[in-house]
Amino acid sequence: MKLEVHNLSAGYAKAQVLFGLSLEVAEGELVALLGANGAGKTTALRTVSGLIRAWGGSVHLNGQSLAGISAARRAKLGLGHVPEGRQLFPLMPVEENLLLGAAFLAWEHRAAGLEYVYALFPRLRERRGQLAGTLSGGEQQMLAIGRALMGRPRILMVDEPSLGLSPKLAEEVLQTLAQVRSEGMGVLLVEQNVALSLEVADRGYVIEHGSVVLSGSAAELSGNPQVQKAYLAL
Amino acid sequence: MELLLQTLLNGMLSAGVYALVASGLALAVGVVGIVNFAHGEFLMIGAFISYLLFASRGIDPLVSLGVAAVAVFLIGAITYYGLIRPVLSAPELNQMLLTFGLSVLLQNLALLLFGADTRVVSPPYQGSTLSLGGLSFGGVPLAAFVLSVLILLGLYWFLGRTRLGLAVRAVAQNRLAPGLLGIETQRVYLLAFGLSAALAGVAGVMLSVMLYASPTVGFAFTLKAFAIVVMAGLGNLRGVLWAALILALAEALVSTYVPGGGGWVEAVFFLVIFGTLTWRSWRRA
Ligand SMILES: Nc1ncnc2c1ncn2[C@@H]1O[C@H](COP(=O)(O)OP(=O)(O)OP(=O)(O)O)[C@@H](O)[C@H]1O
Ligand SMILES: [Mg+2]
Repeated sequence: MKLEVHNLSAGYAKAQVLFGLSLEVAEGELVALLGANGAGKTTALRTVSGLIRAWGGSVHLNGQSLAGISAARRAKLGLGHVPEGRQLFPLMPVEENLLLGAAFLAWEHRAAGLEYVYALFPRLRERRGQLAGTLSGGEQQMLAIGRALMGRPRILMVDEPSLGLSPKLAEEVLQTLAQVRSEGMGVLLVEQNVALSLEVADRGYVIEHGSVVLSGSAAELSGNPQVQKAYLAL
Repeated sequence: MELLLQTLLNGMLSAGVYALVASGLALAVGVVGIVNFAHGEFLMIGAFISYLLFASRGIDPLVSLGVAAVAVFLIGAITYYGLIRPVLSAPELNQMLLTFGLSVLLQNLALLLFGADTRVVSPPYQGSTLSLGGLSFGGVPLAAFVLSVLILLGLYWFLGRTRLGLAVRAVAQNRLAPGLLGIETQRVYLLAFGLSAALAGVAGVMLSVMLYASPTVGFAFTLKAFAIVVMAGLGNLRGVLWAALILALAEALVSTYVPGGGGWVEAVFFLVIFGTLTWRSWRRA
């Protein structure tokens, strides 16, 4: 399965944010989406997952156009999205948050889903009965990712998972994403922490003002003088 | 002592119906996010369904409960689809104006169709009483209380134990995430608003026997339900039960012990809102 974004434009009210953005993510690869604050990374993810409408261009998943398809349908087609700000259900326990991630799947698979997520994030198992709103920032991020994984996406988009985490925890979370990639999932990772994300990513795109200005393998991007100057502070 | 016990008992029996109406409103406010001033009109429709079925066919209110539940659910769903959904992202004041307008419209429609008279559904068991150790229960209020409790238990089971109920609670806590998790939020809103209306409609059937059906019967219940939801705190469905009990007991005490209390009963809800808001802001300060 493959996510193909071609010449996408989108924005809010009259303010256009994306100007002809194109990118691809296939199963089994971890792709970093990099860019300065306000470049349009979050907007790109929102448009792809159907939270906001595309103004132009196309999004295809597995060769099927997603035009006019609701966010919920896209999730069912295999597109996962861990949104900016985590968007947990704060007054529900960890386990109910996770179950909601599998709400549309055959209900008898839910136990297997929980097992899978608890194995990835043992911390969540310990805290299964605790209200999501009372978790630490790192635990909340694990829960947000775990909840998305419950829906068994083929392509997972993650918006700034390391935000507010200690360097050690950030590394741990990104390693987990690298692991689900190795199991065959495609991951599109939006990160402020460029050095860390290029360590785990296979490829990457750099966007400015809503379109791609640079792309290549993680090694190429790490070695690129522009990237080094703008993002790696070398 | 006996008077006090009798008063508290009467209060408790009315609390069941109050909790039913207020739980419905709590769903509209907490899940759909709409301040629905027309909530009492769903109750009024339920009361008239009961009256019409009884007057034309002699159908027992117990049967009408089921008919009203389905019919008012559908009316609620249509209202959501046609009126509420288009204004969900509009400013709150506009939403309130819309539901207030709907309330006035439905009251006048009922006035046009049925006239202003109050109409009571009087099945053979209407005046039955039971007595227990010097206290007396009206059979109908007791049955209404028991039915309300059963319906609320069903509601809690649905919200707490089913997948759909889980989705309803989720939508109440975060509007963005459910869509990303494959949950069709619009359908959840539709269901929640339909349920909200149906709860009021069922209460209306009970009130058609205990009180009466009339075009304006719902209005007082809208106000009382708001008092209960405010007291319980937004999104706190369990609190609704306690708040309903407190309001009903306060009303019963006022009507028994305050001279000329009958006239003051209908103002107790206001005292409750005022008291709650004052206490909250005092505690926060
Ligand atoms: N809901 C919104 N309404 C209006 N404008 C918005 C909204 N969300 C974002 N924007 C604007 O769109 C532009 C791109 O925002 P976006 O959130 O996509 O950037 P980003 O690349 O994710 O930035 P960051 O790294 O800070 O998260 C910004 O100029 C922002 O102000
Ligand atoms: Mg962002």
